Amino acid sequence: MARVLAVLGLQGQGASASGLELLGLGARLARATSGTITALALGEGAGAQGERLLAHGADDVLWCADEALARWPGEAGLRALERAQQEVRPDLLLFSADSLGRDLAPRIAARLDAGLITEATELEFSEGRFVAARPVFGGKAIARMAATTELTVVTVRAGAGSALEPDASRAAGGSVRELDAAIAPGAAWPTVLRREIEASDGPRLEEAKTVVSGGRGVGGPEGFQTLQELADALKGAVGASRAAVDEGWVPAAWQVGQTGKAVAPDLYIAVGISGASQHMVGCSRAKTLVAINTDPDALIFETARIGVVGDYRELVPALARALRELA
Amino acid sequence: MHVVVLLKQVLDPEIPQKAFDVDPVRKVPKVERAPQVLSIFDGNALELALRLREARGDATITALTLGVERADEVLRKALALTCDAAVRVGADPEALDSRQKARLLAAAIRTLEPPDLVLAGRQAADWEAGQVGAMVAEELSLPCVPFVSRVEAAEDPLTVRQQLESGYAVVRLGGPSVCTVTNDETNVLRAAKVKDVMAAGRKPLRVIAPEEIGGISGLGPAVELLALELPAKRTGAEMVDAGSAEESARALARRLRELGAI
Repeated sequence: MARVLAVLGLQGQGASASGLELLGLGARLARATSGTITALALGEGAGAQGERLLAHGADDVLWCADEALARWPGEAGLRALERAQQEVRPDLLLFSADSLGRDLAPRIAARLDAGLITEATELEFSEGRFVAARPVFGGKAIARMAATTELTVVTVRAGAGSALEPDASRAAGGSVRELDAAIAPGAAWPTVLRREIEASDGPRLEEAKTVVSGGRGVGGPEGFQTLQELADALKGAVGASRAAVDEGWVPAAWQVGQTGKAVAPDLYIAVGISGASQHMVGCSRAKTLVAINTDPDALIFETARIGVVGDYRELVPALARALRELA
Repeated sequence: MHVVVLLKQVLDPEIPQKAFDVDPVRKVPKVERAPQVLSIFDGNALELALRLREARGDATITALTLGVERADEVLRKALALTCDAAVRVGADPEALDSRQKARLLAAAIRTLEPPDLVLAGRQAADWEAGQVGAMVAEELSLPCVPFVSRVEAAEDPLTVRQQLESGYAVVRLGGPSVCTVTNDETNVLRAAKVKDVMAAGRKPLRVIAPEEIGGISGLGPAVELLALELPAKRTGAEMVDAGSAEESARALARRLRELGAI
């Protein structure tokens, strides 16, 4: 009879695909224990999400759209979370492994003396407790872990769960309530002065059906233009390895891997990427992984479904042309 | 201004999969010779501290680690990069969970001149938990800004850049704070100068025993490691080679169509 609390961060865009996945995972776990799940929606527009979250599996919804969450996301988020914890008294506290979850989870776990497992790729209820699996050592090993405390806190990677089919009839049974967080900002709180969001015409990297990613082998920022053209032809997004980010060729927001984004597209095309496990952890959930590399011994050919050895400067534009011929 | 940088020595993350094995009983990696390096994001944190000191002039940097004697190597490296002081909490990180490590590191920080800024890599390159930096903030009752990649304005109040999923935020600190550091092109760790490496060997290293700073009495492990396993074996790619780039690309496109990937 576990009580589950799933935290969803919103930025005026409604619940994201990963938020609904988290809710689906939490709802299944709650049901496995004959328990309940409460969704906590935080941020701008949270009040309008209630029915949608109920339809996607929440038994109840708490929301907080206090403006303090935008200026002081970490500190104000913690206050809201503490209040929600006092109301719900969860046994399992779930976050997405995104900038909000990675920020709040360790701090709330420390405050509540709770065991925290981060970056889980699997989470199940087994023999009376929540057991998570997660890649460690750059994906070279998998660790299974459980909290020894009454409350288990987990951050969950994209693809670990799946959203439930929405059922509008569920909305009648649950309550949607504003959380009275009474957030009084502290003088020492770090303040967000402004946000610079990189404009992109295509789909978001995390939600794209196709991702074309480049690594050190792309050789420079101009090479990414070639990848962008292929991504555009496939209505996909462009990603990168850490090496390309460190070289300053692309923005850090493009990074895929253990320390960047985890993506789960239908098609992932890795160009000039050696296949270090650090990167592969971020793209191993792709349905089809294609590797293009000049080095026939590149590690990535061990993991890829399809490999092509050759110069991407020829292969990638040729692939874009071939796709247009097929279309 | 006093900056404390938390550093961890880790098993070299570049070790290839084929050289990596696990001891399923002790639940630790089993790697021959087990080369150790400074954790990558801690290197980014250290570079950020060095750049901040260059921009301000008035900063001193203390490098702090928790580890066994061998971890002095990362402190020597920090001193060679001209950090002003180096401190090691003498404990085995493999025997402690994140909260216990944070408790000891925070206690060690309390023995120093109060820091204006504590920097830590966003996660260590071995267990990759991403917890200790934020938990040190909690232990010290300081605010925490995660995923900082650079300092935007080095004068007080300090302003930093925080990486977000789709861009970044510019964040002004309100006083002493903890920042966890992520990589970007501005904070790749520099190489030490030869003369500084020589000088670093003669600089003092302070070692603190956990008992001296209150230990972790009353704080049991909050997380249990049930198993450490190797991932499922990989099979290898189906290679496409139809001669020219143009023909190979066509063959690849057809295959992707067959697989329903496009």
